[in-house]
Amino acid sequence: MLEIKNLHVEVGGQKILKGLNLNINDGEVHAIMGPNGAGKSTLSYAICGKPGYEITEGSVTFKGKNFLELEASERAGEGVFLGFQYPVEIPGVSNINFLRAAINSVRKYRNEGELAAGDFLKLIRSKAAELEMDPEMLKRAVNVGFSGGEKKRNEMVQMSMLDPIFAVLDETDSGLDIDALRIVADGINRMRCPEKSILVITHYQRLLDYVVPDFVHVLANGKIVKSGDKSLAIRLEKEGYAGLGIEENVA
Amino acid sequence: MTAKNHLGGLKFKAQFDLWGNSLPRSELDWVVKLRHESMAKFLQFGLPGPKVEAWKYTNLGQLNSGNYELITSADNVVNEMGLLENLKGSKVIFTDGFYNKASSTIESQNGVKLLSLNDYLKDFPEAAQKILNKNDDDSSLQSLNTALMTGGYVLFVDKNTTLTAPIQILHNTTTSSENKSIATKCFIDVQENSFAQIVEIFIGADEQNYWRHHVTEAIVSENAVLEIYQIQEEGKKAIHTADTHVDVGQRANFKHYSLNLGGKISRTEIKPTLKGLQANVDLRGAFLGRNGNAHDVFTHMKHLCPEGTSDQIYRGVLDKGGKSSFQGKVYVAKDAQLTNADQSNKNLILDRNAEANSKPELLIYADDVKCSHGATVGELDADALYYLKSRGLDQNAATALLVEAFVSEVYEEIKLEPLRSKYLELALNWLSKEHKK
Repeated sequence: MLEIKNLHVEVGGQKILKGLNLNINDGEVHAIMGPNGAGKSTLSYAICGKPGYEITEGSVTFKGKNFLELEASERAGEGVFLGFQYPVEIPGVSNINFLRAAINSVRKYRNEGELAAGDFLKLIRSKAAELEMDPEMLKRAVNVGFSGGEKKRNEMVQMSMLDPIFAVLDETDSGLDIDALRIVADGINRMRCPEKSILVITHYQRLLDYVVPDFVHVLANGKIVKSGDKSLAIRLEKEGYAGLGIEENVA
Repeated sequence: MTAKNHLGGLKFKAQFDLWGNSLPRSELDWVVKLRHESMAKFLQFGLPGPKVEAWKYTNLGQLNSGNYELITSADNVVNEMGLLENLKGSKVIFTDGFYNKASSTIESQNGVKLLSLNDYLKDFPEAAQKILNKNDDDSSLQSLNTALMTGGYVLFVDKNTTLTAPIQILHNTTTSSENKSIATKCFIDVQENSFAQIVEIFIGADEQNYWRHHVTEAIVSENAVLEIYQIQEEGKKAIHTADTHVDVGQRANFKHYSLNLGGKISRTEIKPTLKGLQANVDLRGAFLGRNGNAHDVFTHMKHLCPEGTSDQIYRGVLDKGGKSSFQGKVYVAKDAQLTNADQSNKNLILDRNAEANSKPELLIYADDVKCSHGATVGELDADALYYLKSRGLDQNAATALLVEAFVSEVYEEIKLEPLRSKYLELALNWLSKEHKK
């Protein structure tokens, strides 16, 4: 599904990713762990086309397409979803209008007609209920005044509405209490199926108790330095990065 | 204010000498006399020039150099261009500055008197002289407006009367407006404990070059409410100046909403005077400009009495070739203790070739007041834009959603539903036009 080869990314002239390779097949869940400053968020933004993240070398191929040629919105249209570490507050835009615009934009990209208003409402109500979101929050401005947990839950509602085939979740678990973590994990697990893949970026092993990955990678100093199965995450939790011979905050 | 900072205006005097006697109601001596006196007052200063602080951002040079002729009559044929269909209530239409009786419908209500200014001058001369001869013009343009007025309306709402529906006032044009100056005037008097809503639309064709000058003088008495909703969609070449002067009494409420979209130059002046204890004024507006639109909003809030509250929210969106200014003056007199005056003007620049100016001016002579002001000029929030794009919205759709949110804040409190959606619809249309270019 996703193939990243020798990826080099600079942000503001600073080299962050320095030759990263990653292959994710259909149906797989990969977790990326790593110390602060390793380039975890940069990887998610590079995959999802954030302006300012300059690809100086390498390739990102999604379902056989050169992904680097596509705008961020087109990547979403292709079926990629980015769960933000810090979801953005958008005053004046209601959650429901935002979601309607998003769904219909993606449908337009795929040459599908707009979703009828009634069908849309039915869908969003059922998704909100599944993820235990108060329907009143759908009327509120996107993420404005939401707690950390509510923001992450909102990311899950968006993901579930947009129904991506590939999701990158950038520290979706950070700042969550145990109940919120369970809901987020539940949202991720709902997506798991043989046709869909997930890349979970996390600081802590905690989330991986709920979302059991097929592969775990350690990202440090702009490269993947170690890969393994879920036991690697458990080892990291016990021994720390130093125990694996990885220095933190390598500039 | 000195004369040398003003532009002449002699061309208007020449036009007045030629055609002044053909203006409406020239059979009434007192009207003719009033027009002449007003013209003389106008000529003391002439048109305000760019050196006058209040006119720094609005260049009326074109009025001085152009040859704007007077318009002295109009055909009474049906013209409903710009009419809001889904509003109930009286509809008063002015075409090229003249009352268009054929298109208007005035619904009668006990305690409400609504009639054309020219009928008022004829049928109620004593009362008309009283309000017109007040001699309290505070600008030369106001005097010129009196000298040249072609039409307008008067609205009297007796005490304890609630208008059953908003009154819609529509100002449109025909091809006869080419190269004309159009001056309209209206008086609104809402007595104690009464309630009135006015929806005022200015619209013109892109082909015609005209100057529309509109003056509103209003009184809102004790415990009364007056709400004015303006929509300005003048033609591309038009100059539009609209002045609103309003006296707000004890515990009275004045609200003014505006949306400026059209015209080559538009100037919206709003001057409320809070004359009674606990008077309240809310001003809300947005101006959207591109391709040669220059919008100017000038407010002067005068707090003369204690415990008054005023709140101003203005939003500007400027795209390529658009220019704007907001000047918000707040005056708090020495006796106006416990005044609460807020003001906010935010501007969004969508293109490097756009300009927004913002100038708050606070003159506070009382010592126990709360006054705030905020002004910003900025671009769209890049993080918000990316967030929307990551959810599938392309650049245009993401921009439109953010700009809509930015503008809609101004109109969200409007309870008159057809109007609230009209404001948003016009703003959205403006945005989608941008994307077609």
